[in-house]
Amino acid sequence: MTGRIVTIILSVGLALGATLLATRASAIRLTGIHQGYEPVQPIAFSHRLHAGDLQVPCLYCHSGAGSSRYAGIPAVTTCMNCHRFVTTTFGAVRAEDDLARQENRKPRLLISPELQKLYDALGIDPVSGLPAPDKTPSPIAWVKVHNVPAFTYFDHRGHVTAGVPCQQCHGPVETMERVRQVETLSMGWCVNCHRQVNRTGVGGKRVNASIDCVTCHY
Amino acid sequence: MPTQNRKRYWKSREERDGAPDPAATDREFFDTPAVTGAAYTTRRGFLTAAGFGLAGAALSSCSRAPVVQAIPYLVQPEEVTPGRPYFYASTCGGCSAGCGLIVRNRDGRPVKLEGNPDHPASRGGLCAAGQASILGLYDSQRLTAPMRDGQRASWADVDGAIRTTLDDIRTQGGAVRFLTGTVTSPTVRSLIGAFLKPFPNARHVAYDALSTSALLDACEQTHGARVLPRLRFDRAEVIVSFDADFLGTWISPVEYTVGYSAGRTLRGDPPRLSYHAQFESRMSLTGGRADWRIALAPAEIGIVIGHLAERLARMADMPLAPGALPPAPVPAARLDELADRLWRARGRSLVVCASQDTSLQVLCNAMNHAVGAYGTTIDVERPSYQRAGNDRDLEALRDELSAGGVAALFIAGVNPVYDLPDGDGLAQALRTVPLVISFADHVDETSSVARYVCPDRHFLECWSDTEAVAGVVSLTQPVIRPLGESRQLIESLAVWSGAPMSACDLVRAHWTQQIYPRRRTDAPFRDFWERAVHDGVVEVTPDAPAVRPFGEAARGVMVPEAPPLPDGDFALVLYPTVGMLDGRHAHNPWLHELPDPTTKVTWDNYASFSPEAAGRIGIADGDVVRLESSDGLTGATKVIELSAHLQPGQHDRVVAVALGYGRMGTDRFAKVGPQWIEGRTTVGTNGLIGVSAAGFRTLANGVLRDTGRLVRVTKTGRTRPLAATQSHHMIAVPAALAPAGGARRPIVEETTLAAYVKDPTAGSLGHAEPTADLWPPDHPYTGHRWAMVVDLNACTGCAACVIGCQVENNVPVVGRDEVRRHREMHWIRIDRYYADGDDGGVDVIHQPMLCQHCEHASCEVVCPVLATVHSSEGLNQQIYNRCVGTRYCANNCPYKVRRFNWFDYPREDRLQNLVLNPDVVVRSRGVMEKCSMCIQRIQNARIEAARLGQPLGPNAVETACQQSCPARAITFGDANDPESPVSQARTSPRYFRVLAELNVKPAVGYLRLVRHRPEDGGERRHG
Repeated sequence: MTGRIVTIILSVGLALGATLLATRASAIRLTGIHQGYEPVQPIAFSHRLHAGDLQVPCLYCHSGAGSSRYAGIPAVTTCMNCHRFVTTTFGAVRAEDDLARQENRKPRLLISPELQKLYDALGIDPVSGLPAPDKTPSPIAWVKVHNVPAFTYFDHRGHVTAGVPCQQCHGPVETMERVRQVETLSMGWCVNCHRQVNRTGVGGKRVNASIDCVTCHY
Repeated sequence: MPTQNRKRYWKSREERDGAPDPAATDREFFDTPAVTGAAYTTRRGFLTAAGFGLAGAALSSCSRAPVVQAIPYLVQPEEVTPGRPYFYASTCGGCSAGCGLIVRNRDGRPVKLEGNPDHPASRGGLCAAGQASILGLYDSQRLTAPMRDGQRASWADVDGAIRTTLDDIRTQGGAVRFLTGTVTSPTVRSLIGAFLKPFPNARHVAYDALSTSALLDACEQTHGARVLPRLRFDRAEVIVSFDADFLGTWISPVEYTVGYSAGRTLRGDPPRLSYHAQFESRMSLTGGRADWRIALAPAEIGIVIGHLAERLARMADMPLAPGALPPAPVPAARLDELADRLWRARGRSLVVCASQDTSLQVLCNAMNHAVGAYGTTIDVERPSYQRAGNDRDLEALRDELSAGGVAALFIAGVNPVYDLPDGDGLAQALRTVPLVISFADHVDETSSVARYVCPDRHFLECWSDTEAVAGVVSLTQPVIRPLGESRQLIESLAVWSGAPMSACDLVRAHWTQQIYPRRRTDAPFRDFWERAVHDGVVEVTPDAPAVRPFGEAARGVMVPEAPPLPDGDFALVLYPTVGMLDGRHAHNPWLHELPDPTTKVTWDNYASFSPEAAGRIGIADGDVVRLESSDGLTGATKVIELSAHLQPGQHDRVVAVALGYGRMGTDRFAKVGPQWIEGRTTVGTNGLIGVSAAGFRTLANGVLRDTGRLVRVTKTGRTRPLAATQSHHMIAVPAALAPAGGARRPIVEETTLAAYVKDPTAGSLGHAEPTADLWPPDHPYTGHRWAMVVDLNACTGCAACVIGCQVENNVPVVGRDEVRRHREMHWIRIDRYYADGDDGGVDVIHQPMLCQHCEHASCEVVCPVLATVHSSEGLNQQIYNRCVGTRYCANNCPYKVRRFNWFDYPREDRLQNLVLNPDVVVRSRGVMEKCSMCIQRIQNARIEAARLGQPLGPNAVETACQQSCPARAITFGDANDPESPVSQARTSPRYFRVLAELNVKPAVGYLRLVRHRPEDGGERRHG
């Protein structure tokens, strides 16, 4: 009797498990692959706004990608090139302008809370643009989204030189509010692309994408 | 092909005599503890374990990946792009030779030191110690704050106290002494002078722990100026060296190696190959390279100098009365022949001598004068400033100190309590001096008795300058923000003089006043300075002291009589090693683990005996012997106990001991290496690395001597085996495994100049590579094909490449115990072979051995997981993340160049980890590793060339071992490019490949050694 109950429980469990697995098969992946990783960043920086709407070129901020192994996160001073003047969204500025006109006063300087974090990091007063004595500069700890293992040496330089679009590996970043890992970044994914471009070329140019192990592992 | 006259080469005497290697008996594996009782696994136990294992695996696979942070700069420095290396030119501070440096920086910190090819003296070479000195920057035991009476103090307190005391001394007229090593920096020299000026009784005393005082004194006698003549080995065709290890440790080995190799390139017609005779007591690196080497007792060297000088004086018709000479210990005919060679090569010959006997140095100067060396191979008008120490001054200071007549003593860059024979006495005397200020950057023998320690900075944090050779001034610039609160010597002096200034301003000010007026261009100062900072070195008009032509002072020089050696006694020879020098690198684990180029011993010093002498007194390798000597002056007996090492080629009556060991603070290495079940300590019974032999030095009559003491040797009955790598990774088949009557495998090839001139392929073993091939030709090499050629004729075995590779490729230090288990991790080793020479001596040949990157690699076919595979460019790739550690590949490698990570070698020192090259993976336990031909450099050069739209030039990639080789023995490049240097080297008639008959087709080849032995007709070979 008990044996039968156990069998029934087991079969029900197995059926449920199989159903669950079948519906979520796409979620099963190898360890170390973090496709879909979308961490919260210390500042809610929007790539959709900057790279998409405003069409800031990727290499304007990630300037290392053209000359270094690492694309790099821009230094805060790079942000300040624009955000010395732009302290909040256009909509908020216009609303404040309208309000000020109605109230017949000079518009106030509005600072978005996200950008305030930027000024705090640099330790400056956004109004004067001068170092604020009560603030200590401290760098911003962004969360890295696209990680390759420590035994893999990926070099941005070669890919940018060859003309591979950034979106090839990073996905449509210009549409993302918060950056998400789109591709698997697995070795098979890398090697497949290397094989393919050796046949098709990149942007009409012939390329020699090596598939030797030491291209990445040393 | 002639196969007789086969010369047998051997690495150890055990190999030569077919005896079991004692190192091999030290078993690699320990016994598994016996299983006791019912310790077998039950079914229930197995299932429990399996269940937990499964659950654990499931849980761990659910875990989130660690969050990786990317923290950018707030304000990015202009020249820094994260991930891109940038380079500064500077000057090496590893010793007083002052070689040019190129420092590679990554993300704000230096990670590699390389030679500066634009430096006119060192020409891109950098020795092992120089390359390893980067580790000193990240030494966590370096003093980073001032100390007062052994307690950490603040600069303000220390400065205030020192200034008050100095004011008192100035008004009272107390004696102030400033004790330094040779100061090669013109700025520092002049600032010390300026600092001492206000004191009525002040003197700057300089001495060298590895003294060359007699050489300078002799120059003063014969040329009227106490300078170190610049030796131009590149211009010398006949070189006679008396005990001078000029390729290894003597004065400026890199500069001398560069010159020496330039004279032995075999280029031109007739082929250029200088003749080098070496008379020495022990087997030195330089002696191993000599064309004719004779082992002499220290006292006999003077006799040979006398005989040779007499012959040359007769030829040159010079008045020289050397007095009654004892009979020469060398056949007269050989000396005649040598004198004749020197005489025939007048103006192109050179005699060097490391003796600390001024009269012998004067005789050598007379010989050099006779053969017209002055003005050609020896430059006294543009001398070297690499050594300026004066042992007479040192002796006077010592006496002053013991008499209690010194009010203030500054000690910078030297460690006299360790260096000098009566260190304890000196330490006592120092305690009675009212003000002792040490600038040492470690707690050492001297700084621990100093009242104040004001730590100087590491040279990579400094602004300074160096004039190593008259007219060649190089700059030292900081490449990192100073770690800690140390302060440069010149800044401290400026503070105490009441005019604080930064080191940069001090150096600039000195340059404005002193260096810039000596300029050769008419550039404004700013440009002159900027250029000097950029290039690292600037050539200006020398302002050397005036010398007079060789005087007749040598007339009537008497050669000292050789004191008879009492029966049973040994003559002691103390010498510096390539790694430790005078002990200044004692805190560097890389240099401790670097096998000595000749003895291949690591982590220790030892008493070397010739095998015959060892047989006579009944000792074997590793037996602990007691060396006893009574001091002639005080009658006190000094004793040290050391392991014995049997050194072929050493004189029978000589025992040689390395200096620089037994340094205070080396107890830090007690636990280096993995602490595992049988973990044995790296330090000796005294708790230190090695034993200090400084007590056996003598400082008397104005010279600090390292030779000449007589010692009595007794056995202690104990043994402490040395960690020597000479029998590790043997390529030759052990006698026990060789097929009956089978020929020994040829490893190195050599020939003589006479044979080479007749037939450039002479010495070839004629092992044609097999023509039939089982392997399909599946390596088309359509692009690059990386290859390397090592010129055995240029290689001196100095081990610069070993350290260069270690720094570049994050090779770990494993410790003494692991070395004894054959587990040293160096990717490139230097195999040193001996062969019985014709005249009873031994011949030495060095062969750098690294992964040969075989086309048909035997490692590749046995790897079960394809962790080692061939690249399309001819490299044998080792993929760490795929390796599962079967070690099949290492077992199948005929060259024994693969290294296995038996442990996670310690990387706990976070400061020290900053030296790791971020472009190379740190390998973990259980992974095989080996030479990658610096693939990170290849990849970087390739991508960089593509980025700039340029083709990859033939010299675009330099491996780490190649870059700093002072002898330029290593050529690396693309064998598919017919114009590349490596392709041309591969077409040399001297080209051969090791074990070519195996048909593994290595990408690394060698160029045969050519010995200059005209009297020797036949070919030399070995198996």
